[in-house]
Amino acid sequence: MTKLVEKRTVDMEIIGDWVEPNTRVLDLGCGPGVLLDYLVQTKKVSAVGVDLELAKITTCVRRGLAAYQGDMTEFMAAFPDKHFDRVICSRTVHELGDPTAVITEALRVGRALTVGFVNHGFWKNRVDMLLRGRKLRNPVYTTEWFESRPANPVTIADFEHFCAAKKIHIARRAHLAGDWHSPCRALPNLFAGYALYDLAR
Amino acid sequence: MTDDIDTLPSAPGAETTPRHLAPGEVGLVSPRDFIYAQPFSFRSGQSISGFQLRYETYGTLNATRDNAVLICHALSGDHHCAGWHTPADKKPGWWNNLIGPGKAVDTRRFFVVCANVLGGCQGSTGPSSSNPETGRPYGILFPFVTIGDMVRAQKLLLDHLGIVELHGVIGGSMGGMLALRFATDYPRFTRRVLGMATTGRESAQAIAFNEVGRQAIMQDPAWNRGDYTKDAGPRVGLAIARMMAHITYVSDASMDRKFGRRKKNTANGDAYTFDVQFEVEGYLRHQGQSFINRFDANSYLYITRALDQFDLAHAHGTLEQAFAAVEAETLIVGFTSDWLFPPEQNRQLTLALLRAGKRASYAELSTDLGHDSFLLESEELYGLVRAWIERDQPYVFDYAI
Repeated sequence: MTKLVEKRTVDMEIIGDWVEPNTRVLDLGCGPGVLLDYLVQTKKVSAVGVDLELAKITTCVRRGLAAYQGDMTEFMAAFPDKHFDRVICSRTVHELGDPTAVITEALRVGRALTVGFVNHGFWKNRVDMLLRGRKLRNPVYTTEWFESRPANPVTIADFEHFCAAKKIHIARRAHLAGDWHSPCRALPNLFAGYALYDLAR
Repeated sequence: MTDDIDTLPSAPGAETTPRHLAPGEVGLVSPRDFIYAQPFSFRSGQSISGFQLRYETYGTLNATRDNAVLICHALSGDHHCAGWHTPADKKPGWWNNLIGPGKAVDTRRFFVVCANVLGGCQGSTGPSSSNPETGRPYGILFPFVTIGDMVRAQKLLLDHLGIVELHGVIGGSMGGMLALRFATDYPRFTRRVLGMATTGRESAQAIAFNEVGRQAIMQDPAWNRGDYTKDAGPRVGLAIARMMAHITYVSDASMDRKFGRRKKNTANGDAYTFDVQFEVEGYLRHQGQSFINRFDANSYLYITRALDQFDLAHAHGTLEQAFAAVEAETLIVGFTSDWLFPPEQNRQLTLALLRAGKRASYAELSTDLGHDSFLLESEELYGLVRAWIERDQPYVFDYAI
């Protein structure tokens, strides 16, 4: 049998650092469960993921993860307040039909919420749009326009504004440079390619 | 469950190799009987002096006796879930597409057990069995059976077979109810549960359909308060019950695709008669007629009553409390077109398990075949079953960022 190897990414490592060991974690838009599997292996969390696609659920089950096929808002509605220690919304937030409803509900069922997203305000993304005039493509936006679900691109400035307007407390933030690897130290909305936020009520 | 599982078209060369001898099939199988010769008390408080369960096994129990997979059948199913009894059999066991060497439930790796439920009529003790006190069939003197009673009887069989823990238990519809009861009643024994098209309790609509079936049987004068001989009995009532129930196992779309408004080629083509005109009528009548030759009307009453009474939440206060002791990893599968035990009821089971802090997953298949979709020949479904039953070795993370 071939060894099944997954590459750990820096955003995954940061999310992992923010997760307390032996806690209960919900991943919204869990995909094939790579992040949850990593958190189970490194932090011994009790994990559950939600995704819309059957193939993703099948892969999660194969990994031994709990996964639920369905709508994330309906899923969260079935849980009492603070049922989860942490909710994670990684590389998913731009696909949400109603981001306010999802984030509000996540902050009800979870004590904390981690959000990770591609910063559309990153200068290269701005220049790329200006020069190429084509849809952004990277490891989060993997598909052509015509093969993609509707996307609602967000910038760091947009997200900070959202948190201020909704009175959501930002406990931690991490901004990664254009390589999604090294830290970005200044003017993140212009120079960060990737952003992570740790939110609470 | 319907009788007419569509079989795969024959592979090239199938003419030379009979299916029962083909590789990848369990082949010829024989049922066996487990005799429990001690008194058995039912949930109702009634008891019998002993019982028999008819069962089949495929594959081999390993040295550690922990590779057993129990298959639980639905209302009208039986212990014959894979293989052929004789080379002349027209059809293999009812879940032959799922079970066999190299199939999703791989009999090279797992020891598969399937038993006819207590209260049934396919060789296990039920109302058509002889009452040792009278020498006549029990009829309605047979104790009321619950899903829990069926599970307890099957646990005695598994103990008899020397199984120390179940690798998994799989069931669709009523079989899913049995699988869930294994998880709640024998938490340390049951490592994995897979329930498809199932529910924690029937809706009023499902109970209503069962009641119409029971009334069709009980209003047939030949029912005679359950007192009839083997070849007599309420054949008309049972056939009508089956015809109606069959409609609930399929869907509007699948019936329309299969029959539409096509008409039978009747001799005179006269529209003004009550003879069979539409193909769907002929099909339902065939379903009813074939059912009365293999099923006992009293068993139908007992088992539908057991289905109606099943209520995990009521028995424990809440579903979460019902699941409090569960140690199994559970996978629940719903089917979009199932209107008997709809996806919502399957989701509720999964959500309750998760609220109770258990490892549970929910998957949903888009089909238009209705409740019986769990018998579907679908690579997606097989993939799910394989993922649940086999589990890869842990994924290794490459920390060299």
